[in-house]
Amino acid sequence: MAQPVTDRTLKAFSLILSYPTCELQHAMPEIGAVLASDMRLTAAARRALRPLVEELSGRDIYELEEQFVLLFDRSRTLSLNLFEHVYGESRDRGGAMVSLVETYREGGFDPVTSELPDHLPVLLEFLATRSPEVARETLADAAHIFEALNARLARRESPYYAVFASLLQLVGAKADREAVAEMLALPDDDPTDLEALDEVWEESEVLFGPDPNAGCPQAREMLAQMDLPVNSAPHAAE
Amino acid sequence: MSHLLDRLNFLESKDLETFSDGFGKATRESRDWEDTYRNRWRHDKVVRSTHGVNCTGSCSWKIYVKSGIVTWETQQTDYPRTRADLPNHEPRGCARGASYSWYLYSANRVKNPLVRGRLMKVWRKMRETMDPIAAWTKLQADPILRASYVETRGKGGFVRATWDEATEITAAANAYTAKTYGPDRVFGFSPIPAMSMVSYAAGSRYLSLMGGVCMSFYDWYCDLPPASPMTWGEQTDVPESADWYNSGYLLLWGSNVPQTRTPDAHFYTEARYKGTKSAVICPDYSEAAKFGDVWLNAKQGTDAALAMAFGHVILREFHLDRQAEYFEEYTRKYSDFPMLVKLEKQNGKLVPGRFLRADDLDGKLGENNNPEWKTIAYDEISKGLVAPNGSVGYRWGEDGEWNLEEKANAAETRLKMSFVLEEDHDDVVGVDFPYFGGEAYGQFQTDADHPDVLTRNIPVKKVKTTEGEIRVATVFDLFCANYGLDRGLGGDWVTSDYADEMPGTPAWAEKITGVPADKIAHVAREFADNAEKTKGKSMIIIGAAMNHWFHMDMNYRGVINMLVMCGCVGQSGGGWAHYVGQEKLRPQTGWQPLAFALDWNRPPRHMNSTSAWYAHTDQWRYETLKADEILSPTAPEGDWDISLIDYNIRAERMGWLPSAPQLKTNPLQVAKDAKAAGKEIPAYVVENLKSGDLEMACEDPDDPANWPRNLFVWRSNLLGSSGKGHEYFLKHLLGTDHGVMGKDLGEDGGQLPKEAKWHPDAPRGKLDLLVTIDFRMSTTAVYSDIVLPTASWYEKDDMNTSDMHPFIHPLQAAVDPAYESKSDWEIFKSLAKKFQEITPGYLEKETDIVALPILHDTPAEIAQDQVKDWKKGECDLIPGKTAPAYVAVERDYTAIYDRFTALGPLLDKLGNGGKGIGWNTEEEIDNLGALNGVQLDGAAAGRPKIESAIDACEVILMLAPETNGNVAVKAWEALEKATGREHAHLAEGEHGNKIRFHDIAAQPRKIISSPTWSGIESDKVSYNAGYTNVHELIPWRTLTGRQQLYQDHLWMLAFGEGFMSYRPPVDLKTITKEVQDDGDNLVLNFITPHQKWGIHSTYTDNLLMLTLNRGGPVVWISEVDAKSAGIVDNDWIEVYNTNGALTARAVVSQRIKEGTTFMYHAQEKIVNTPGSEKTGHRGGIHNSVTRAVLKPTHMIGGYAQQSYGFNYYGTVGSNRDEFVVVRKMKKVDWLDREESWKAPAEEAAQ
Repeated sequence: MAQPVTDRTLKAFSLILSYPTCELQHAMPEIGAVLASDMRLTAAARRALRPLVEELSGRDIYELEEQFVLLFDRSRTLSLNLFEHVYGESRDRGGAMVSLVETYREGGFDPVTSELPDHLPVLLEFLATRSPEVARETLADAAHIFEALNARLARRESPYYAVFASLLQLVGAKADREAVAEMLALPDDDPTDLEALDEVWEESEVLFGPDPNAGCPQAREMLAQMDLPVNSAPHAAE
Repeated sequence: MSHLLDRLNFLESKDLETFSDGFGKATRESRDWEDTYRNRWRHDKVVRSTHGVNCTGSCSWKIYVKSGIVTWETQQTDYPRTRADLPNHEPRGCARGASYSWYLYSANRVKNPLVRGRLMKVWRKMRETMDPIAAWTKLQADPILRASYVETRGKGGFVRATWDEATEITAAANAYTAKTYGPDRVFGFSPIPAMSMVSYAAGSRYLSLMGGVCMSFYDWYCDLPPASPMTWGEQTDVPESADWYNSGYLLLWGSNVPQTRTPDAHFYTEARYKGTKSAVICPDYSEAAKFGDVWLNAKQGTDAALAMAFGHVILREFHLDRQAEYFEEYTRKYSDFPMLVKLEKQNGKLVPGRFLRADDLDGKLGENNNPEWKTIAYDEISKGLVAPNGSVGYRWGEDGEWNLEEKANAAETRLKMSFVLEEDHDDVVGVDFPYFGGEAYGQFQTDADHPDVLTRNIPVKKVKTTEGEIRVATVFDLFCANYGLDRGLGGDWVTSDYADEMPGTPAWAEKITGVPADKIAHVAREFADNAEKTKGKSMIIIGAAMNHWFHMDMNYRGVINMLVMCGCVGQSGGGWAHYVGQEKLRPQTGWQPLAFALDWNRPPRHMNSTSAWYAHTDQWRYETLKADEILSPTAPEGDWDISLIDYNIRAERMGWLPSAPQLKTNPLQVAKDAKAAGKEIPAYVVENLKSGDLEMACEDPDDPANWPRNLFVWRSNLLGSSGKGHEYFLKHLLGTDHGVMGKDLGEDGGQLPKEAKWHPDAPRGKLDLLVTIDFRMSTTAVYSDIVLPTASWYEKDDMNTSDMHPFIHPLQAAVDPAYESKSDWEIFKSLAKKFQEITPGYLEKETDIVALPILHDTPAEIAQDQVKDWKKGECDLIPGKTAPAYVAVERDYTAIYDRFTALGPLLDKLGNGGKGIGWNTEEEIDNLGALNGVQLDGAAAGRPKIESAIDACEVILMLAPETNGNVAVKAWEALEKATGREHAHLAEGEHGNKIRFHDIAAQPRKIISSPTWSGIESDKVSYNAGYTNVHELIPWRTLTGRQQLYQDHLWMLAFGEGFMSYRPPVDLKTITKEVQDDGDNLVLNFITPHQKWGIHSTYTDNLLMLTLNRGGPVVWISEVDAKSAGIVDNDWIEVYNTNGALTARAVVSQRIKEGTTFMYHAQEKIVNTPGSEKTGHRGGIHNSVTRAVLKPTHMIGGYAQQSYGFNYYGTVGSNRDEFVVVRKMKKVDWLDREESWKAPAEEAAQ
């Protein structure tokens, strides 16, 4: 017997962030009502959700689906798999997913979906059954991801941004500024700004440890010598 | 009683109790912290798998799984030991493979079946009222609906579909196409079966049951070296990498072993520790160059000149001035050097013509079986002409003399190699050789000092033939003259001085290649000296680079000549090592019945892709190369002034090359018409072809009846990687936005083809449906109508073999396929099921007619010793002899699934086999029934099951001689019949050795020696190609039965390639005044080598690897060239010509030779690629600036080794002769406005 959903707002977000279906469209009035009546959200946040709710209930289902595939299936930077933003293609991701699955199991649930455990709607559904504290704490860990997705979607003028803005409100805490900045620095902020673009793709200096010249005294002299280029860069030579 | 005194108030004992004599004790401390360490490396299971992209590594990896999730992988270290002296194989692996695993969970993964939204919407609407086939029919009949999804290909707009819907659309399209146009309009492209042979077989089995077309890849990739079939009658056979260690001299020629063959490179370094010397030849300072004791940086595209000079030195010092005994004995026995060539009169001059054959002589030397296919030599023992054993004439229609014993007509012989001595020749005559060195253009060095025909003196014998007295010469004497060697016979164009700039000398080569003459002589001398001392242990490791030039045959034949001259082929530690693209499918003969459904229907439909794509992507409409630019000045009289596509049409008509589609009329309809007319099918087809009522589809590729309609792409990135002429694919085949900037021949006022019908307006969007099956959103997937998510390498059961090592290796499902994906086997099985479900009532049991070209390794291969075209009235149309055979095939469209999942009865009846030998295999089929179980009902009741991918693996393993000792013994016995020699000792004791899937899961297993391959597996020698030819005296499968260095087919002679010579790159004229913008002055030769950050074991959209490079597409240029165009490192640049444009970052490097630019192969346009200023569309891929150009000599058929075989012979997609304009980009536009998904909204608003 499944535990009841205690937080219908989180469950609503889980639904809204799932692939749009006709069933979802029919349920949108009810979902919209849940969101509109959640007083944890500010009036502005609730207002901001309205265009998405309207779009999901009223727009052609194929357009919604195309849009969803383009945004969340095809764009790496908007992936709803949270660990994509944390671990990318690093092998640490496997271990992290394993512990998430174990969290679900400890909570009394077996995942029965083909989605991976770190898929946001899966996590939201799970948290909808948890105590408010647990839900808030867990979401707070991902706040920087929500903030980045919020910004990226807003930049694309996608109404989906409002979901992430609301999630941030539910978390209450401010996201880690540095982590957000790091994430937001990655994508193509202003495609016409060539200098910014170059910075994005500039090769970063290879660092061995926190401070390569301080770490190991035995290597200090050798490393200092390596700092001096044998040949200067071609364009610098001119 | 109070315990107050006994009780501790402030302290608590740490120990609760002790045990094990005080060595153990219980405590109150929590030991939870230990779990952290325990869990870190905890896993539920370890599974063996490998990376089946297109890698020869076939490296064993341990995949660790925890809670159903792959957590990490490490290299396996349990390869079986091979031979005592050899270093270990392992650990095998590379950074690319190690970074592969996270594709499983990558955001780039295709998670669900995807369908183009516009197609899905219309489909669902129609399906409300119609059945699937009716819906597809209606959709195709409506040009607006069809265009609505066709024109949006590549522009996003996917929605998720269920498996049921996606397979339904696909199956309906296939059924509609088969019924409306013919099953040969359903194409499937998948490369390199060896990498995951069951996954390949899944698609090809589905297609073959339906009558669809399996397209070749090896020739299309241009990795097939046609020089190999020409010389050896073998597609490609090479030594395993361990054999490098046995070599005394390693010449790396255009191969970058440390970079692209990483897991094997250790054998190369280890050989050097042992004292092996190594020379490296490549234009750039590559990773391999650093390993060389000497580096020869020949100008790109001039390798044949270098090879010629090497040959010149070797012949001079080891064959002429001094005769190295080993070399002489070897070439006498194993090459065509002693064979006699007729010198034919042409415009009053003599040219080398056809081999003298028994048929030319009165009495035919008593040879009544195939005398026109038995070549002749002069025997020193009998002092007369003999027809030595082993030529192809002995292979068919008789038994026992197809071997390389030094015998003719049962008598011992000693064949004469040369008539150079006064007493041996009857005359010395001038013979004409073509010379192409004066044809170079652009940055290539032109030799204006020599005419295009060089007449050299040749010693000849006079021979009486049925045509009267003629002059003949040995191949060896002609061969030496061709290398410009003075043999004291006087005359022009020969020399004995290396410093003389005569074609063939080191000094001449220095001028062309830039390599100093003394270095050339030095390397040649060392190479041959080592070979003489070690009896052939000099090896050439060759890279595909040299094979990608239009005149690749000259490069390769130059290299092969050196190896044959020095007796290296077939000797362990020696020979020709071309590790490119084919990746030896070791259990080939076990796999073929499964893959091509030979257990149910024969023959399958095979197509050579280069010719097909050239025609169907309309690249022929833009052809800039005319036949007379490549024709020999010594060409015989003939109708040579036709377009390249015309040559291909003639080749198809004469049965040389396959066709797809085959006839303009649906073959199912033709069969019905034949039945209605009461005629046998072949006779009916012949009659109507002659009358013109039936037309071959190749004659009019742009007619809608002849378009390919459905295309499956699986295990492949056809559009993002191998598609030469990428923009033409987009424009004509797909019908979407493209970057083609040139004009076609009609617009340009060029010479139109004579045989191919010209339509003023070229079609756009020939394909009705493009289905891609992949686990990542590749460039091809992006352009598809349906994308089906497939299992990745740790999610499916399959098998993998390589030419680099002799082990057969599994892929295994460590975890279930992620998201909605399924394995290729399950995907095609579900398509078959859907097809069977929806087809009855629409298609039933039907008769299909398959046009079959004349195939190599079959008795038909000796079809045409003369070139005659039935359409021109030069001969009668005889199917299978002067034209394709037309074979009736009974298909059951209502039982595709039943047949897919069971092994059919045709194997019991016809047996199994390959490469010209066959054996009974009933015992193996019984064993499979016992092992896999049998189907209990359906159309295949009683037949062995092939339900799962593991069942399919067992079929392969059971039927193949390489993995079933019992079959190996039968195969060798079958060969013994033809050769009349004992070979079964090679599989002695292997009867009971049967490898099963679970065996290879436990440990990679070494294969069993089989006659399918020319090397053997033993504990004495490493696998090396040609070993059994040399040591077992099994003939090479050529006209002469020997390694054939002279090619005498009419077309070879017409195009000047009877002998190898240097031919400069061809001018493709893609930089026209119209396309080249003012101020863009940097024009470079465009080269596409393999890279370090993608290729072979992973793709170029892997973020870990991209991070190690520049994060997206790059193009390398030299410092000098960069400076001239104001480009500095990391600038955005644009590269273009009439074929299209691409954008990338510049890597400015001293490594690159001036005049060239490198763009590593298969960098994806889906990652970090901005828009092109030139085309206004997103920058293309490396193939955006290329176009396939066909070479007529690759179309030859019906002529022993020059007969068609799938991936064996045929036109190849060369691409290195291309030139491009390179410029710095002014404005970088990412085109990331969301047009594609806003468009429908805007439409809705209107």
